[in-house]
Parts: sequence; C-alpha cells; structure tokens
Amino acid sequence: MSDAVQTAPESPQAAPAQGGARRRTRGALGRPTVRGIGLIAGLELRQRVRSTRWRWALVSVAALIAVVTGLIVIATPDDAYSPGDLVFGLVVYFVLFVGLVISPTLSATAINGDVKEGTLAPLQATTLSAWDIVLGKLLASWLASLAILVVAVPFMGFAFLDSEAHPGAMLTVVLVLAFELLLVCALGLGWSALAARTSASAVLTYVTVAALVVILPILFVLLMLTMPSDHQVTHVYRDYPYGISNIDEERYPYIDESGERFRCQEDTWTSTTYRTDRLWWLLAVNPYVIVADSAPTPEPPDDDSYYYADGILDGIKMGVRELRLPPAVYEDYCRPELSDEELYRREQRDALPPTWPWALGAHALLAGGAVYLAARRVAVPYGTLPAGTRVA
Amino acid sequence: MTTTAEVEAPTALEATRLRRAFGAVQAVVDASLTLERGTVTALIGPNGCGKTTLMLMLAGLLRPDGGEVTIGGLDPMQDGASARARIGWMPDVLGTWDSLTCTETLVTFGRAYGASAAEASQTAYSLLQRVHLAEYAAQPARVLSRGQKQRLSLARALVHDPDVLILDEPASGLDPRSRIELRDLVRSLASEGKAVLISSHVLSELDEMVDEAVFMARGVTLGESAQAEVARAKARWRVVALPGQDVHEALSSATRDWSPVEGADSSTAVVQVADAEDAAALLGKLVRKGVRISAFGPVGSALEQAYLSLDQDRR
Repeated sequence: MSDAVQTAPESPQAAPAQGGARRRTRGALGRPTVRGIGLIAGLELRQRVRSTRWRWALVSVAALIAVVTGLIVIATPDDAYSPGDLVFGLVVYFVLFVGLVISPTLSATAINGDVKEGTLAPLQATTLSAWDIVLGKLLASWLASLAILVVAVPFMGFAFLDSEAHPGAMLTVVLVLAFELLLVCALGLGWSALAARTSASAVLTYVTVAALVVILPILFVLLMLTMPSDHQVTHVYRDYPYGISNIDEERYPYIDESGERFRCQEDTWTSTTYRTDRLWWLLAVNPYVIVADSAPTPEPPDDDSYYYADGILDGIKMGVRELRLPPAVYEDYCRPELSDEELYRREQRDALPPTWPWALGAHALLAGGAVYLAARRVAVPYGTLPAGTRVA
Repeated sequence: MTTTAEVEAPTALEATRLRRAFGAVQAVVDASLTLERGTVTALIGPNGCGKTTLMLMLAGLLRPDGGEVTIGGLDPMQDGASARARIGWMPDVLGTWDSLTCTETLVTFGRAYGASAAEASQTAYSLLQRVHLAEYAAQPARVLSRGQKQRLSLARALVHDPDVLILDEPASGLDPRSRIELRDLVRSLASEGKAVLISSHVLSELDEMVDEAVFMARGVTLGESAQAEVARAKARWRVVALPGQDVHEALSSATRDWSPVEGADSSTAVVQVADAEDAAALLGKLVRKGVRISAFGPVGSALEQAYLSLDQDRR
C-alpha cells in the first residue's frame, strides 16, 4: 500500500523517459548519404575487383552468350514466315537467365559473409549509417551485375538488328533487365541479412528467384486446374448436307474452300472452363513476362486473325493478356471471319492496360522490403541479434 | 541530463548498472565502470565473464537491456553516430579486408568517420608510423602476420582521434617486443588525455600499463572488494633464503603475518607487508638477524594475484 502511494506520483515523470525514443528496441537506421554510400560501394567494388578473376568471369559470360546467340541465329528460320522478334527475344531471354543465375552470388553473402569475416562490426562502429552500409553494398553488387548486362548488350544489339523487333524494344529490354538485376541483388542482400550462414542465404536467394521464374507459373497451372468452373458455352460448328443430292440453298447458305455447301449449327452445353482471369497475376510477376510485356511490339495488322503474335516476346505478351479475359462463352468454328464475340474479345484484349508497371511495382516493393530488412539488420546498437550470430 | 559543459570533465565514459542477455544467457548482469581522461583502466575477468559484451555496449554496438552509458554527455542509444564518433573500438576478432592495403584500410575508416580523403590519408600515414607498420603501408592486409593485423586494428580504432578507446584483448598474439610497444603506445595515448579501457589475459603486462582495474566475474563488475584484493595482492612479498635457513622462525619472531609456500621448506615464505617502505624495513631486520636472504620481492603480478583469488571465490 505504502509502495503504491510512493510510486504513483513518480510515474508521470518516469513515463516520458521510458516511452518514446528513450528505450529503443532496435538500432537507428540513420540517414543515407551520398558520401557514405559511395564509400561503401567503392570499398566493395575494389575488394571484388582485386580478389576475383572478374576479367575471366566476364570473358566467359561473353563467350557463353556469343555461342548461344550464334546458335539461335542459325537455328531459327528467317525466310519462310516472318519470325518477328524471335531471335531477339530468345537472346534477351538467355541474357536474363544468365543474369538471374549470376546476380545472386554477387550480393547473397554481402552481410553475413562480412559478419563472419569480422569486417562488418568495425564499419558499424563508425559514424556511417545503416542505410549507407546497405545501399552501398546494394549499389556495388548492382554495378557488378550490370557488367554482365554491358557484356551482353552487343549480342542483344546484334540479335536486335537480325530481328524485326519494334525499334523501342531494345531500350525497354535493357532497362527492365537492369531493374530485374537490381531486384535480385536486393533479394540477395535481404537474405544475407536474415540468414546467419552464407550457404543458407545463397540458397534462399536462388529459391526466391526460382519462385518468381518457375514456382509461380507451376502454381498458376495447379491452381487453375483445382478451380474449374462450369459455364454454358455455345458452340457453332459446320453442318454439311452429306448424301443429299438436292441441296436447299436457303438451308445451306455458305460455301467452303472446296465448294461444298454448309450451314452453321448452334449448340449450347455446359463445359468446364478455367478462370485464368483470376490467376494471371501469378504469371505477370514473372521476370520473363515483364520483359515481354514491357517491350513495345508492332501494331497488330488490321485483319481477321484473332491471335497476332510477332515472335516470342509479342507471343508471351498476347498470351498473358488473353489469360486475363474471362472464359469465352461463344465458340465459333463455322464462319471463317471473326465472330462478334471474338471481335469483342480482341478489342477488349488490345485495350487491356499493360501489366508490367504493376509487376515492376511489386518487384520494387519486394526489393525495397529486402533492403529495409538488411538495413534493420545492420543498424546498431543491436537490440536482438539474429539466432546463431554475434556482433563481432 | 548532462550538458556540453561536462565534455571537459574528467569522466570520459560512465556506465552504470548495465545488463544484457542473449536469449536465456545473461551475459552481463550488473556492470558499472567509470573511465577517466588520461587514465588506462584494465577490464579483467575469466573467459566468458561478459567482458566483450560489456565492451560492445560501451562502443555503442549493443543495446543494454538496462542501465546507462554516457560518453562525454552523449547516450549511444540516443545519439548513435555522434556517440560512436567519440569512441575507438578495437574488436577481439581481427577482420581485415584482405585485398586492401594498410593505407587504404585506414583511409576508408577515416572517411567512414567523415574525414576528407586528404585528411584521411594524412592520418593514415602518421598512424602507420605510430604502430610501426609504415613499411607495410602499400601491402595488402592479407600478407600481414597476426601481430601486424592486431596493430592495424589498433590504428583503425584511432583514425578519428577518439576520446575513449576500448581495446578488446589487444595484446593477445603479440610477441614480447610488440607487447612492450603496445604498452608504450597505450601509455602515450593516455598521456594525450584519452581514456583507455583495455581487456587482456596477459595480466603481468597490464600491471605496468594500467592505472585502474575493473574486475569482472559472471557478468558482474566487482567494485570495492576487487580493489581491496589488488591492494592486498600488492602487499604480498616472497622471502627466499639460502637452503637450511629458517625464514619461518625469523618471521614469527618478527611478529609478521606470513604463510609457508607449498612444496618448499622453511627457507621460503610469503609475508604481508604494508608497503614498499615496510618491506625494506623488514628486509633490514631479517638481514640483521643473520638470515641469508637470496631473493625478496612482490609475489608475481598484483593483478594476477587478485584475479586468481577472485576467481577462486567464484568457484
């Protein structure tokens, strides 16, 4: 009782001291500075340039891309029917693959590796902020992975000139590839902050990249198959007057390619369709889809074709957009020209806004989150330490 | 709340009742210490007693679960970077950037503390001279020996001319000559007005280097009792006479508080003296009595003695 009486008047005074910023639970992130980021990035790059055989690594990457580009050029047909951006698209996709494979190694041990070496704590003890350290490391690993892109640009340029891609495609492809490499570097940095062991962070970074590239598309297919929906679909098919000698021209008003008369017959039944319009976003965040979706493609010709895909990038772009539409309810196999619904759907599809800004936005969030986690991990004074680690 | 007026006060760093746990392990239970400008303080304790954890908290790298740290009026928890700017910390783990030269390493650290490139390289040059690494200035850190890395690490802690130096096991792995150089360097840093906290296992080296000692056991800094133990240890002198001489008898008749030495005969004993003056008087008395003394001096290192007796208490 007397204790309560005594302590009560003190608590209002103690409250501001205890609350607010008085007792932080974790270290301060500080403020990023150009100096600090530049210093750390310079340090990291200098270490990397001196301690690795980076010249040989880049020459090997160039040789690999050169061989694959050459094989693609030889293997693809280039006269029979317009291959569009096929050569360009394949080379770009190979470069993306190489980038996604190599980039994780550039940042996935950036933080836990330094902790293991004992080189992080002395830096944390300086006046550099957590943002300086983390953004400097991100910049360094990004610049290193951009070296891969720089090596690849001549080959992509060659493939570009060899293809009939849209003139703007080269620029968007390079920019999107650069951004995707930044994402992978940021993911690596994030995992290197969260995992205590360097081998674990490397694996986790690869798994995350694989999730975007492979696992989400698999999930797309599996989820699609587990969510069938029944629809009334009207099918229109050709009905020929087989075996009838006196053909009533009014009943069979159309003539096909070989001069036979036919009529269109409608039939409606319930069929199983898949609601890809609810799941397409699983594909939209795929780096390969983003590259395709963001690359400008030639205007579709004004003709009767429902699909018009000019090569691989355009094909993927069109394919994903088609998946965004709800299932068709009117399947016309009869008339050679497009049905009203097909015209409508084509119009709808062409009017769909591109997905790449959203997908890049999602990637930016992912990268930002990873970098934020890394900065929190590096901020001192440490509140809780990640399991299995020590400060120095 | 401390003010800027206190920046010139003799106390450079004050820590009160710090505690810190890692999960279920209570690494530091209750640690308090005060570092004065111009003095060297030893932090002494057995392995795993929380010395490194305490030093990390003082260096602003680890948040205490409770207690206060004040560095020249700044709280490392609040004013992170500006408090860290006043502290030079030398970790017990020697992390070096293997492909950077010694000069580059120090320049990088100087710039990390906000110095310009020109200032930083000037500081790097003079520090390399000071820690006797000038001839390795252009060598990558990977060619350095352990002792040389240790000295580079010490230079790294000095690049921003800090008020407080926190040295975690700076003498481990050093050859005798480097230890003497380290001792001289630490003393000269203290004479410049820096407050130095140094942890070490080489207690005999510390004896000659330190002004104050803070003992630590099981995460607790031992205050008065440890100081008393050091004073008592300083008062223990060993008397060795020629074989056949009875020192025990002579000391008893001089009504001295003495104890026999285990495994030795009555020609050897350890005796309590008040101070050096008293010791000299005792020696004169023994010689006058005809005891043929062959050795007479303080027993080992005072810090070591104190450490051992505290360590015994602990068990």
